[in-house]
Amino acid sequence: MNPDRSIRTVAVVGGGIVGLSAALAFVRALPRVRVEIVVTPADPAALADRLPSTLPPVGRFHAAIGLNELDLVRDGVATHRLATRFENWSASGRPWYHAFGDYGLSAAGVAFHQLWVRARGDGGVRPFHEFCAAAMLAQDGKFVHPSHEPDSPLSTFLYALRLDPERYRRRLTAEAERLRVTFSDGAIAEPERRQDGGVAALRLADGRRIEADLYIDCSGPSAALASHLGEEFEDWSECLPCDRLLLAVEPGDGLPSPCDLAIAAPSGWRWEAPLPDRRLAGFAYAGSITDEAAARREFGGEAAEAVEIRPGRRPQPWVANVLALGDAAIAVDPLEGTNLHLAQSAILRALELLPGRDCHALELREYNRRTEQETRRVRDFLALHYLRAGRTKGRFWRPMRERKVPDGLAHTLEQFEARGRLPFYEEETFDKHSWLAVLLGMGVIPRGVEPAAGAVDPAQAAAAMERLAGRIAAATQRLPGYRDYLANMARAPSR
Amino acid sequence: MNPTTPREPAHPRTRVVILGGGSAGWMAAAALVRLLPHACTIRLIESAEIGIVGVGEATLPHLRAFVDTLGIDEADFMRTTHATFKLGIDFRDFGRIGDSYIHPFGSFGTELNGVAFHHYWLRMHAAGRQDELSDYSIANVMGAMRRFAPPSADTNSILSTYSYAYQFDATLFAPYLRDYSLKRGVERTEGRVVGVDQDAESGDVTALRLESGDRIDGDLFVDCSGFFSLLLGRTLGEEWEDWSGWLPCDRAVALPCTPPAGPIEPYTRATAMSAGWRWRIPLQHRVGNGYVYSSAHISDEAAADAIVAAVEGEPMAEPRMLRFRAGRRRRSWVKNVVALGLASGFLEPLESTSIYLTQGAITQLIELFPIGRIRDCDRNEFNRMVDLEYDRIRDFLILHYHATTRDDSDFWNHVRTMEVPDSLAEKIELWRHAGRVQKYSQGLFLEPSWIAVYIGQNILPKTWDQRADAFEVQGLARAMDKLRGQIEQAARAMPEHDEFIRRRNAAIATELR
Repeated sequence: MNPDRSIRTVAVVGGGIVGLSAALAFVRALPRVRVEIVVTPADPAALADRLPSTLPPVGRFHAAIGLNELDLVRDGVATHRLATRFENWSASGRPWYHAFGDYGLSAAGVAFHQLWVRARGDGGVRPFHEFCAAAMLAQDGKFVHPSHEPDSPLSTFLYALRLDPERYRRRLTAEAERLRVTFSDGAIAEPERRQDGGVAALRLADGRRIEADLYIDCSGPSAALASHLGEEFEDWSECLPCDRLLLAVEPGDGLPSPCDLAIAAPSGWRWEAPLPDRRLAGFAYAGSITDEAAARREFGGEAAEAVEIRPGRRPQPWVANVLALGDAAIAVDPLEGTNLHLAQSAILRALELLPGRDCHALELREYNRRTEQETRRVRDFLALHYLRAGRTKGRFWRPMRERKVPDGLAHTLEQFEARGRLPFYEEETFDKHSWLAVLLGMGVIPRGVEPAAGAVDPAQAAAAMERLAGRIAAATQRLPGYRDYLANMARAPSR
Repeated sequence: MNPTTPREPAHPRTRVVILGGGSAGWMAAAALVRLLPHACTIRLIESAEIGIVGVGEATLPHLRAFVDTLGIDEADFMRTTHATFKLGIDFRDFGRIGDSYIHPFGSFGTELNGVAFHHYWLRMHAAGRQDELSDYSIANVMGAMRRFAPPSADTNSILSTYSYAYQFDATLFAPYLRDYSLKRGVERTEGRVVGVDQDAESGDVTALRLESGDRIDGDLFVDCSGFFSLLLGRTLGEEWEDWSGWLPCDRAVALPCTPPAGPIEPYTRATAMSAGWRWRIPLQHRVGNGYVYSSAHISDEAAADAIVAAVEGEPMAEPRMLRFRAGRRRRSWVKNVVALGLASGFLEPLESTSIYLTQGAITQLIELFPIGRIRDCDRNEFNRMVDLEYDRIRDFLILHYHATTRDDSDFWNHVRTMEVPDSLAEKIELWRHAGRVQKYSQGLFLEPSWIAVYIGQNILPKTWDQRADAFEVQGLARAMDKLRGQIEQAARAMPEHDEFIRRRNAAIATELR
């Protein structure tokens, strides 16, 4: 960049996981830039700071900020995450798994799910997730790193990490200090503004003044800084109905697992994420349908902390020299663990499209355009779980079918229900296997299949499907349990 | 059978009637008979009296997937159509008279620390380094050396960073696919259509009436009747969206010539002319030439004289004239008529997109192929995908004309100063300002293509990615020298393009014996 245009200083507002992640990513990518973190009071509704479930791209993000998976796992900061088991979400009541892997093998140009849908209609077939190695590992409480042998059924999946929020924050803080990120504590007061609408300097409540070229607001949903530049909000509560959460920490059973749980209940749904020594749990419900006391009774956690969220997004996450990240930019409930992932993805995108010091509108527009594509599609994916859940029992679930379906999801459902086709969208976070796992898991079954499937003989397809399920079962059965795998990792030499 | 599963009843096979036996018609027939033989019957109507355009001699790499899907042996296909390999297009005199650059089928350099290579090149260029971005594209270097070898599947190898297409005799392409299709059960009817029957209520086409008096019934009609657009345009009256304001070239005069002595270039050449541009496509047995021009800016006679004067070899035929106009039908699938190729729209051949557009539409048609009643959601989805392709290619083509400093003719003055679509203006501004290419992953012409044309036509960004400053200049210079050396060495180890083709042809001949 021409030196007179380069960003020289960055001030990050918020000292939680998102703020630390942003600071680290910036100093790593731009060693000459000075980064200061203003540690503001933690916001209890900043879910990306509190529920650090991640998605498979976390590997890329950690590489960018210099964290090593082996260290994180050995130090008890992270465990692996392969799948979520969904209970009571389907019409049949049968559980299903959304795993980060391929479901089935395509053959002769025909997608596997087309043959599965046909076989299901013809009289029965195994559950869809039995054709996914990662789901079967998760079901058995096992984990293994994906194989590099292209023919192995164990080469067809990815994995994410589940982070211990406290330990992870400490690790990020230590890393940031080592890389000379500076810290100051304080609450944000009205900022000093520039002529063009940007921020000239931060003012802290105690009167201190902090100047930077770029300000990154990671302060949580209240958006302590970004809110001064605009209050516009895209409300998603019609399709993402959970706006109240109960958060709890429960004693663990000592059995680590690569599988999270999401259990639908009459007033919402409950999650469980096992950490090595304890378990994060919680309950999501709609404040307009269920009051807190009733939700607590259903969840069974008297000590749980109650948090309110407002599902939706800031339509312009980057305005002038203020970039909003994490819950300051987008708030969704913990379903599918997207909170921290969306922050990490936004950090890398901000670096990829980093504007000059003038933060020219043209450059911000590209960032905001791509962010909109990404976040709306995540909204569609999460909304699918609520608006097309197979479950219709319970006061929370009963009215869901009547709610307005967002356009992108409506288009996807229309195409899928007709013949199992998944239309292409730019900036898709969840690939087609993820969409299929959820759609078919919940019981959204296409009325027909694509004509090309007709070229494959049903008996041959059935035999091939059985062979695949057999290979997956054989490959997963001989693996040790996750605890043993972790113990082996602990003994492995450092990389 | 699971009672909770709504299932469609079994349907009789859809009767597909394809009108027109050019490239589009026979591509559709071949793909349908290959992929949906159980779902449809296919009849193609063509008339020997009506010629085919058959100029699209240069293709894009996507055609390889089509050939592969049909299960065709590439070597046999190339031998029969006298095809050569194409690594890109050499654009001459576009940005300025005397300029030359290649738009390669491949990327420039390799990403470093997650930052695209062109940012490093821009930085080093500003620091005074004297080389071209194209030196870092292996497709370019191979082209310049006239060498060829197929790319590697190993994504870690520099040899995996390029792709290739074919340059072939388009008049042999449709017959090749015709043989393929007829062998597999496509029925062919020779005749001229003199009438179209429509359902009084729905307006659907029900049958085509031939001069012979025969009547061809069908469920789905695929209009490949060329610019005439008999079904979609003339019968259903679908509106034409005119783009000639942005893409004023509306005629071409073609002139095949004998090949020059010496090695065959593995690329197409496009040379800007005073009222358009001319193509030069080297095949195994001849060189295709043609002048694509704007009739508002030059007369047909002057254009014909210009191409005759410009060609290098001996003309093998009289100059042949073609007329067209840029634009498309607002929708390509209306009622039970799907238009493919020129019957659906036309974008001039500057980036060899014609066959690609047909292929893309056929792929969508197969995915959305109707069983029983045709649904609105399928038609809409088909039209949405066609729109996406057309709009992006349109912008990319306009860029080639607009990004110029040429002021030597009315034609160039017009395209240089015209208003461009907002979608393109935004893309150019983002590049100029920040060196960034608006990102999309679906559709033609991704980042390297835009970069090739921007830089090749002298639109240099004001700046580059700040992350590219993280390295010292000397270290970067060494890394870039090394990369150039690797590329050059890899290209030099390849056989000459002619030699590669000769060897393959000889191998087939041996096999056939």
